[in-house]
Amino acid sequence: MEKERIAKVLAGIVGAEAVVVDAGELRVYETDGLTVFKAMPDIVVLPQSTEQVAGVVKVCHREKIPFVARGAGTGLSGGALAVEGGVLIGLNRMNRILEVDYENQRAVVEPGMVNVWLTNALAPRGYYYSPDPASQTACSIGGNVAENSGGPRTPKYGVTTNHVLGLEVVLPNGEVVRLGGRTLDPLGYDLTGVFVGSEGTFGIATKVFVRIMRKPEAVKTLMGVFNTIEDASNSVSGIVGRGIIPVAIEMMDNNAIQAVEKGVAAGYPLDAVAVLLVEVDGPKDEVEALVEPIKEVLKENQVREIRVAKDDNERLLLWKGRKAAFAAMGQISPEYYVQDSVIPRTKLPSIMRLIGDLSQKYGLRVANVFHAGDGNLHPLILYSSANEGELHKAEAMGAEIIKACVDMGGSLTGEHGIGLEKRDFMPLMFTGDDLAAMRKAKKAFDPDGLMNPGKIFPTAKAGVEVGAAGQRQILDKVLGPA
Amino acid sequence: MLSDETLVHRLGGLVGGEHVVAGSEASRYAVDGRAPRAVAFPGSAEEVSAVMAFASAEWLKVVPRGSGTKMALGGIPARVDLVLALSRLGGIVDYEPADMTAAFRAGTRLQEAQEILGRNGQFIALDPPDADAATIGGILATNSSGPRRLRYGASRDLVIATRLVHADGKVTKAGAKVVKNVTGYDLNKLYIGSLGTLAIIVEATFRLYPVPAVEKTYLAPFASLDGLKRLVASILDSPLVPFAAELMNVEASRRVAAAAGLPWPEGSYGLALAVGSVRREAVDAQLETVRRMSREAGGADGHMLEGGPHDAFWRATRDFALGDGLQAVLKASVLLTKVAEAVRVGEEVAGQHGLRLGVISEAGSGIVRYYLTGDAASPERFQQAVVESVSRLRAFAQEAEGNLVILKASPEVKSRVDVWGPVGKALPLMQRSKAEFDPQGILNPGRFVGGI
Repeated sequence: MEKERIAKVLAGIVGAEAVVVDAGELRVYETDGLTVFKAMPDIVVLPQSTEQVAGVVKVCHREKIPFVARGAGTGLSGGALAVEGGVLIGLNRMNRILEVDYENQRAVVEPGMVNVWLTNALAPRGYYYSPDPASQTACSIGGNVAENSGGPRTPKYGVTTNHVLGLEVVLPNGEVVRLGGRTLDPLGYDLTGVFVGSEGTFGIATKVFVRIMRKPEAVKTLMGVFNTIEDASNSVSGIVGRGIIPVAIEMMDNNAIQAVEKGVAAGYPLDAVAVLLVEVDGPKDEVEALVEPIKEVLKENQVREIRVAKDDNERLLLWKGRKAAFAAMGQISPEYYVQDSVIPRTKLPSIMRLIGDLSQKYGLRVANVFHAGDGNLHPLILYSSANEGELHKAEAMGAEIIKACVDMGGSLTGEHGIGLEKRDFMPLMFTGDDLAAMRKAKKAFDPDGLMNPGKIFPTAKAGVEVGAAGQRQILDKVLGPA
Repeated sequence: MLSDETLVHRLGGLVGGEHVVAGSEASRYAVDGRAPRAVAFPGSAEEVSAVMAFASAEWLKVVPRGSGTKMALGGIPARVDLVLALSRLGGIVDYEPADMTAAFRAGTRLQEAQEILGRNGQFIALDPPDADAATIGGILATNSSGPRRLRYGASRDLVIATRLVHADGKVTKAGAKVVKNVTGYDLNKLYIGSLGTLAIIVEATFRLYPVPAVEKTYLAPFASLDGLKRLVASILDSPLVPFAAELMNVEASRRVAAAAGLPWPEGSYGLALAVGSVRREAVDAQLETVRRMSREAGGADGHMLEGGPHDAFWRATRDFALGDGLQAVLKASVLLTKVAEAVRVGEEVAGQHGLRLGVISEAGSGIVRYYLTGDAASPERFQQAVVESVSRLRAFAQEAEGNLVILKASPEVKSRVDVWGPVGKALPLMQRSKAEFDPQGILNPGRFVGGI
């Protein structure tokens, strides 16, 4: 593209100070939360209104320039990675809460608003917004919509798609449409539903209509300490088998505990093989009534120690370790590579054994921190790029884990998205016809294929270099040639 | 064009001659009075695929069908060549109780599925109308839901994977059989509620819930809507977690109470609050609070329901019908704060037109169902009254940021008023979706929004 001319046109829409072309300033936008992938946009624009977004998109559409939307850039699959030679539309300046309607249990927010701001704003009236990804103090609601983000609370309350009822969307041709809204069962196809989780390839959400919920009367958090992963895993099935749906069931293994204790001293026993965090909420009488049966299940599964948080401070301390787990990895390893695949809950013990075996095979440590309640793994493969070839090894090991999960009837990703990172894994789960159906949806929204190209769908030919480690070649090695 | 004889012969070759119906027998499967040339009953997804490949090659217009409980929904079809009945395509595909997921073929009746799952104390948390007869495929295609959605959500929240047969016969899957998954686009959302206009759902996997050990309902009579409106607002703004909250007008509460064998004070509106839990004391504590709040809001002494009467009450609510006479059923979606008003406006409109009206609303979800009935002796007057009521109630629902859909009405009514109402600026996007998935326009043409 003729960068200077386009930059000038865009400046006419958003103002010169909201257009970034300087190479040094652009570097900030070179990567998202998955830093092994890098790509430099030609131009970054920072619009402040739906009209400005629509104006920018219209220019891109007219000039056939590919473009990518970006929220806070915390994504872990390279989903918001810029397209070289394209425009990156940063939405951080559209960060307001537009409306809160307690009586109808709805709020309307802009896409750049940080996830936790909404809950903070609602707290005085005793309300909250449920989806709480680990990055919630930084990630944006628009990014959550793109990725259909989850978090620990999903076993009981679901993920982003269960809480987003409507969107205002700028389509890739610059047209503005409203999908859904504040009431349920909007007419026609559930386009809001299919837009959520489309990883920024369908359009740009400029308003998000969300469900807000009344805070539960009581919350109780228990921690169980175990000598085997098996016992911890069986406890998960046991609790659910008693008809209890906890808000969250989280598990951490010993490597994760070591890192967390060095990092934030949450009080987890250093010699534990696994700790399980179980949280229940609801009316006071119900929550009280749930503690005993949960304890019973833990005891049936040889729990070594049970701690029940007595107050909010103790509760937050138990959670502090879990929430800080990713960040704490720096305590035990210079770098980590995290996977996000999902397995049916009953397969937890077998996948954990397999991850242990792979760790031996590749000579890389793994810390496991995951959403045990819904089988969503987060194996953090520890490596150092200072050691020649370790990143390659980490990626290859990650690929083997993903493949094993799919073979067990699971899924490539539970909440991080496919993005650029896992696009070549898609054929593990989906046939050509399955993918063709997805392309039809893409075509209905973006017939010119301008929005966030190169994401989600597998690359056609083998041997294409992706990212730092040349993922395609690794895949060929681990999974067999495409 | 194929002769009827060839059509039947060719279909017989695909699904077996004994599974094809034609002629006068096929007219029993008429949609809005339009009889199909043939009805095919495939016994497997592969046979559904073969029938669609054939239909596509011959440009046959196909209407998918489950058990037929919701065939009244939708616009009058542009043309019906073939009804594709999925009633033989039933049964469980896989079920792992400890994972709390289960997959069923589309023709499985929901009731059958619940019986299987119930043996492990689990269920699909859907309670749509006609739950005994309705099939899973039909429930998903029509996005049918019931009172429990307040706690559990609707189909879009409960389905984790589907298997589809497309217009050209291709078979695909969407989603995965795990409860959390963001791999690729969530096409389940697109198929659910699409009334079979994009593809035919042949199998669906659900995330399951445990059947609560104890479920009880408090049903309170109210002399006026005003007290009820305040009560609903304060319950929704409280830490109580009912799984259903139904507000009913005088006619509906009288009938439902009678069906459950409960005495009911003349001229009373009703509010039913249902709570479930693994622990009895948790249910009792919540419903005692409800009873107290209800009294404070001016409610008369109500009924605490459990067991038989509880089930009878909810069955009568879900499958509500006004008995003999001409019928029409409408469903509005409105803001929560507009539910009581929607009930009142409904009564006003029915009064003006001399219609008998039952209204049952899901007060915590903003869903309002109007059941209209009129004198069978004067069908034209009834049709006119329904058409006018639809316009008036639709205007109200739109004002309340929602919509109003005709769930059931005669073709005479449907030919005079849009079954769905206006879709707005998203319609071209929906039309493009339809064109991508069904470029020949052979799946259920004319029955969906905007003439899709």
